Amino acid sequence: MNGSPPLVLIAASILLPLLYPLLAARPGWHSISRGALPLLPLPALLLALLSTTPWTLELPWLLLGSTWMLDELRRSFLLLTALLWGTAGLYAVGYLGGKHLRRFGVFWGLSLAGNLGLVLAADIVSFYMFFALMTFAAYGLVVHVGGNHARFAGRVYIVMALLGEMAMLAGFLLAARDGGSLLLAELAAGIAASTNGWLMTTLFIIGFGVKAGLPLLHFWLPLAHPVAPTPASAVLSGAMVKAGLLGWLLTLPIGEVGWQSWGQGLILMGFAGSLGAAVFGVIQRDPKTVLAWSSISQMGLMAVLVGAALMAPGQVSALLPVIALFALHHGLAKGCLFLAVGLVIPAGRLLQSFLWVLLALPGLSLVGMPFTSGQLAKAAMKGALMVLPNVPLAGLLPLLLQAATLATVALVVRYGWLLWQQLERGTIPASRWLGWGLALFCSAVVFWSLPTVALVMSD
Amino acid sequence: MTATALLPLLALLTSLLAAVVIFVLPESSHRVRILVNLMAALLKLVIVALMTWGVFHGVDFSVSFTMLPGVSFMLRADALAMLFAGLSAVLWLFTTIYAIGYLEDSPNRSRFFGFFSLCVASTMGIALAGNMFTFFLFYEMLTLSTYPLVVHRGTEKALRAGRNYISYTLGGGVVLLLGIAWLHGLAGDLAFRETGHFQGADPALHGQLTLIFILLIAGLGVKAGMFPVHGWLPQAMVAPAPVSALLHAVAVVKAGAFGIVRVVYDVYGIDFAFMLGLLQPLAWLAAFTILYGSVRAMAQIDLKRRLAFSTISQVSYIILGVALFGPIGTVGGLVHLLHQGIMKITLFFCAGNYAETLGVHRVDELDGAGARMPATSTAFTLAALGMIGVPPLAGFVTKWMLGTGALATGVEWAVVVLLLSSLLNAAYFLPIVYRLWFCPVAAPWPGERRWGRLETSAWLFWPPLITTLMLVLVGLLAATAFSPLSWAQLIVVRMYLP
Repeated sequence: MNGSPPLVLIAASILLPLLYPLLAARPGWHSISRGALPLLPLPALLLALLSTTPWTLELPWLLLGSTWMLDELRRSFLLLTALLWGTAGLYAVGYLGGKHLRRFGVFWGLSLAGNLGLVLAADIVSFYMFFALMTFAAYGLVVHVGGNHARFAGRVYIVMALLGEMAMLAGFLLAARDGGSLLLAELAAGIAASTNGWLMTTLFIIGFGVKAGLPLLHFWLPLAHPVAPTPASAVLSGAMVKAGLLGWLLTLPIGEVGWQSWGQGLILMGFAGSLGAAVFGVIQRDPKTVLAWSSISQMGLMAVLVGAALMAPGQVSALLPVIALFALHHGLAKGCLFLAVGLVIPAGRLLQSFLWVLLALPGLSLVGMPFTSGQLAKAAMKGALMVLPNVPLAGLLPLLLQAATLATVALVVRYGWLLWQQLERGTIPASRWLGWGLALFCSAVVFWSLPTVALVMSD
Repeated sequence: MTATALLPLLALLTSLLAAVVIFVLPESSHRVRILVNLMAALLKLVIVALMTWGVFHGVDFSVSFTMLPGVSFMLRADALAMLFAGLSAVLWLFTTIYAIGYLEDSPNRSRFFGFFSLCVASTMGIALAGNMFTFFLFYEMLTLSTYPLVVHRGTEKALRAGRNYISYTLGGGVVLLLGIAWLHGLAGDLAFRETGHFQGADPALHGQLTLIFILLIAGLGVKAGMFPVHGWLPQAMVAPAPVSALLHAVAVVKAGAFGIVRVVYDVYGIDFAFMLGLLQPLAWLAAFTILYGSVRAMAQIDLKRRLAFSTISQVSYIILGVALFGPIGTVGGLVHLLHQGIMKITLFFCAGNYAETLGVHRVDELDGAGARMPATSTAFTLAALGMIGVPPLAGFVTKWMLGTGALATGVEWAVVVLLLSSLLNAAYFLPIVYRLWFCPVAAPWPGERRWGRLETSAWLFWPPLITTLMLVLVGLLAATAFSPLSWAQLIVVRMYLP
């Protein structure tokens, strides 16, 4: 460890949300535990901001011997995770009634601890542990409101998640044998050298594809997002599905030679998801369901980028920051869009117009309007894809990208229309406005000062 | 007599003497009995801890007497013995505490705790036995001392289960004895040895040795609950919860599994058993039992019955690990001896808590129990997730080691079995967890009792919480020096590198 942040901060980043359930579960402490929700990711946020140089931490006593680290890629994901959970937590303070509040707090804290931990994990077992913690705890968020819909969504969620976990476990077991190491950093080389490389790659694409909403593995997404409480939908769609993306980046043989056809396959899958999701999304009547399909669509584009990284080992160092940037942009914007569903229309025309402009902003960002995070992300994506080695698919790329933009426009317009129809007049607790406002501020303003953005813009 | 010879005897005698004292105590001496029980359990824990420390540092604890010409009674503490002795010493303490609370105000407690102590003494004897004869002695003593516990309630159903139990286990005992006698005739009095005895045996004997192996495994397989001789186990769950906990986690099924480990490693030798082609069929049988137990568990409505079928499935993990023919798989199997014990005892404690506190025995009556009994339900949830193999809990370490071991020896299909088993475990455990936390209470509890501040009696409240803490810590701190995993690795290093 050189120049790394204090150990106590690293510990607090994980332990605060992990132990929060002990507070949340206490009867009669509602107001305190609810008020603490937005504070939970603060140590992690501080950790991400302070870690200006990469660090590694050896924890030989933990599990089968653990290593945690924070490099540029992980730092970007940690920022996204902490910011989104923080703003959604603030929103949740004003969203939740007293019913089952303790249970919600328990699962919220555990999911957050898992989501933050998997970003820091540098070895297979820690990563798998935090991923599982997040997955299982998030079940509690999905089924929180109860009733048949939530129950069905929860069942689909947990069955698919279990299948994903098993695929992951099989992949990790094989990788640990063939690579001879438990470190994620040595996975890619191990897979490339092994005769079972194809099997492991398939297992990882499927295993993390469930979380990332890859076509045919996406079924849980449009069911789970709308039934979950709105702040939980925001973190599910903005942060937790990104864990699937991060899983791909950490486990697939990216940077190794000889995976062109796999890359092409993933690119095709990605576009299929990106365009197909729009078809299903525009016919929905619930704005949250539309957003869920939009997430599948956007995650498809990220799958395209991962596929590109598989295809072009030489371009990886340029592609990884672009992927991190895209995830950051989408996570923050999607968080705002979800949180907006629980807002109300204020009195006064001027205020109303102002609100609608703000509500539209993250949507326009997804579309790629100038001066938004989306424009930067899309431009970076286009730039990165255009320099791919000349393969049959390359000629189609511009067309597919345009179609994907069209798909995004369609989904955003549909969402906007439904929101217009459904937002009602009334009053809501201030913390809901604050949470949404802060999320918007992060997406539109803070975004530009984040380190990943500076890295991409300097290229 | 030196201290190294005395300690194994003392470990045995603590529970044996406790049994005698408890039998002669009048039924009404409630407090004295509690005191004797707890003192004996604590004393044994100290003795076992001392011995474990000694074995770690290479001290040889052994004692032996000649019983008949050519037959000796022999106790010896090697690393494998301490694994089982440690499990039974630790879990005995918590089960005793639990049983005191569970049987409060019920009749025949003197009889119960007397046989309970005898049962633990037998377990200790099985752990420390230094040869097949001594092993068999305590193995049968275990059968006889557990029978009164199974039929303790004295109901028609309990008696029927008891008859069933005794005919299965005595039948298994006869088969085992046949194998041991044959082996004795062939090779004499064989002390357990870490590399086995038959490396390089005369090829003319291979046929006989194969048959003997089958007899031994068949005899031991009855207690280990292996298919097709598992039938007694689901019935025996009519016993009181602490008995089921002891039967499923420590005593009976583990004695069978432990015996199989002894036969494969310390009598035959792993290389020799592999060469005879005996491990492959054993692995298949274990794999089938793993899946069979899980599938049957899914169909059970009675909570304890579901747990019983789960035991059938989980104990065969140990046997699968041994049969994988490789050091890593063996580590996985051995560590599961402990891990399964900790997880399963937690589940049975919880089942007992639901029965005693709410009068709930069936899975479909558990709706909303999480709000009424949050601590017990948290314990149940974590133990169930551990059984599924979710990291960092105990079951994950087992599954990881077994999976790694299977891949290391090229037995890829075993990984598929492990993954399927995880899914099946999820299929019969997660619906219970769902009911506990997410379903509203459907009807008033069938038989609710209240105990003041805690959700249940303190005697019942703490044991599952402590074992839950253990099942988290053995996984989370698996890499530390005295974790079950490290101890299993020590055993295997001594087995493979004599």
